[in-house]
Amino acid sequence: MTTSLATGPRRRLHPLTPLLKGARALVVIIAALSWQTLGRVGLGWFAAMVVAALIGQVILSVISWYVTGYQVVGRELRIHEGLVFRRTRAIPLERLQSVEVVRPLLAQLTGLAELRLEVVGGGKTEAPLAFLTVDEARALRERLLVLAGKAGAAVPAQAAAEGEAVAPVAHPERPIHAVANRDLLISQLLTPQTLFLPFGVAFVAVQFAAEATWSFIGIASTLTAMAGVLLQPVRRILADWNFRLASQEGSLRLRGGLLETRSQTVPLDRLQAVGATWPLLWRRRRWLRLRPHVAGIAAPSSGDDSGGGRLLPVGDPETARLVLAEALPGVALDTIPFTPPSRRARWLHPLSWRILGAALTDQVVAHREGLLTRQVLVVPYARIQSVRVVRGPLQRRLGLATVYADTAGGPSAAARDRDVSEAWELAATLAERSRAARSVPAPH
Amino acid sequence: MSSPTSALEPWPETVDWRPVSRDLIWVETISFGSFMIFVFAGLGIAWALSGHWLLGLALALVAALAGWRVIVIFRAVRAWGYAERDNDLLVRHGLLVRRLSIVPYARMQFVDVTAGPLERAFGLATVQLHTAAAASDAKIPGLPPDEASRLRDRLTALGEDRAEGL
Repeated sequence: MTTSLATGPRRRLHPLTPLLKGARALVVIIAALSWQTLGRVGLGWFAAMVVAALIGQVILSVISWYVTGYQVVGRELRIHEGLVFRRTRAIPLERLQSVEVVRPLLAQLTGLAELRLEVVGGGKTEAPLAFLTVDEARALRERLLVLAGKAGAAVPAQAAAEGEAVAPVAHPERPIHAVANRDLLISQLLTPQTLFLPFGVAFVAVQFAAEATWSFIGIASTLTAMAGVLLQPVRRILADWNFRLASQEGSLRLRGGLLETRSQTVPLDRLQAVGATWPLLWRRRRWLRLRPHVAGIAAPSSGDDSGGGRLLPVGDPETARLVLAEALPGVALDTIPFTPPSRRARWLHPLSWRILGAALTDQVVAHREGLLTRQVLVVPYARIQSVRVVRGPLQRRLGLATVYADTAGGPSAAARDRDVSEAWELAATLAERSRAARSVPAPH
Repeated sequence: MSSPTSALEPWPETVDWRPVSRDLIWVETISFGSFMIFVFAGLGIAWALSGHWLLGLALALVAALAGWRVIVIFRAVRAWGYAERDNDLLVRHGLLVRRLSIVPYARMQFVDVTAGPLERAFGLATVQLHTAAAASDAKIPGLPPDEASRLRDRLTALGEDRAEGL
């Protein structure tokens, strides 16, 4: 932090990096050699093979560590790597979407951390810097965020000239909410996977008892299947343990994790959309979860809500209101005036047409869908990338149309099966309002 | 913005729809036909060798489908249209599923101009406007080169003018 803003020195990653990466490779090596090899060559030779592969891996890691460096140049982060094929990646910080500090278990033991940057246009995480010391990672994160924020305000030259005077000011962090681990556990017990597991086990056990053939393969595959089913809830618990949300100078900071702690920083003006989900089994407790959609963070495959970040892993409506007020000021989930689609949409959605809904407020467009797992998606007008009106053959017969408001890298808000003339009006209003929202700077 | 008057043609007074070139019909038909030739040849040879009536029926069916497809191509090309408004580009296309995209110039990330060999033979090009959202589709095929480069220049000029990015 002692360098000027214009060009920082080129730095290396932490010297322990090769060892940590080697340890990470150990699991892969053993998996690659497989149990079959162990059975064939015996334990001594197997250990020797693992050690040989490990040493090779560490040597490669040392070389890679030696040639890898990072440097902040102006408004860019440059990452140099590669021995034979030199590669320098320049990451323009104005396109930085979020920064994450991740600490896997081994890194926690050694006091190291990994810094991950999310950039628009990258399908996967761009530029993971693994590993840095925790202090280094935090300092770099602050610095990158300050630079990224400054890049938005069109005075880069001045900023560079002022040098250290404007360099990172430690903004106080304001905690917003912490999720109780008890709630998290209960919420993950209330998932179909965990609830149906006992039935599955009982079913299999009864079958085994009836057949009385306790083959090894049968038991092993049952156990594997059970582990597979439980993987998602367990992973969520591990990822969202001790979840805390704080706000700091125009960005949200999301923390959590049991074995691997993560601390993600999302600038508020990079938040493309917020999704709320009410799973069926949580309904009695009125719980819901909130998910931020940020460009650059790979969206989870549709329906599966396990990947990506969380604004709120589980919480009651009051908490959700509190959190949402920070993420999208002036928006409250329970006051969004959803209107159902035209009555003719009943032919297409006989059960869920009452649930389907779309709403325009003065800041956001929102949709609601899902009969059992209710979902609401809120997209601020200022984040709309394009508007689409789509009419399928059935919809045309019924005089209906669906209007989409697309966001960068996130999902599209969809007003499904509206009356055609209402849909055109909706599209015109969306185009108009998103233009108006773009031309005034964001309120924060 | 004025409210739409007709369900089929929204905002008729403000939007000046422009069609794409009719030559696109030939491009699409030829590329479809060159694929169908192999299917026809395969079926025809098989029929001639075996003389089974089912193969003859299949040949007739394929021929009927191909004819229908050509008619669809005719109508689909006519369904393409685009309009430049002050702040956004409108693109409509699709016959079975009709799609209309409204893409603000300010959201433009980059413009692609492509022309395949067949398109070039007919003097056509495709202009595609990309935004940061993968879902937005603003692709205009079948533009004469002059129009394509005019559109590209206008889009980039307007995009720089009103750049917002994200």
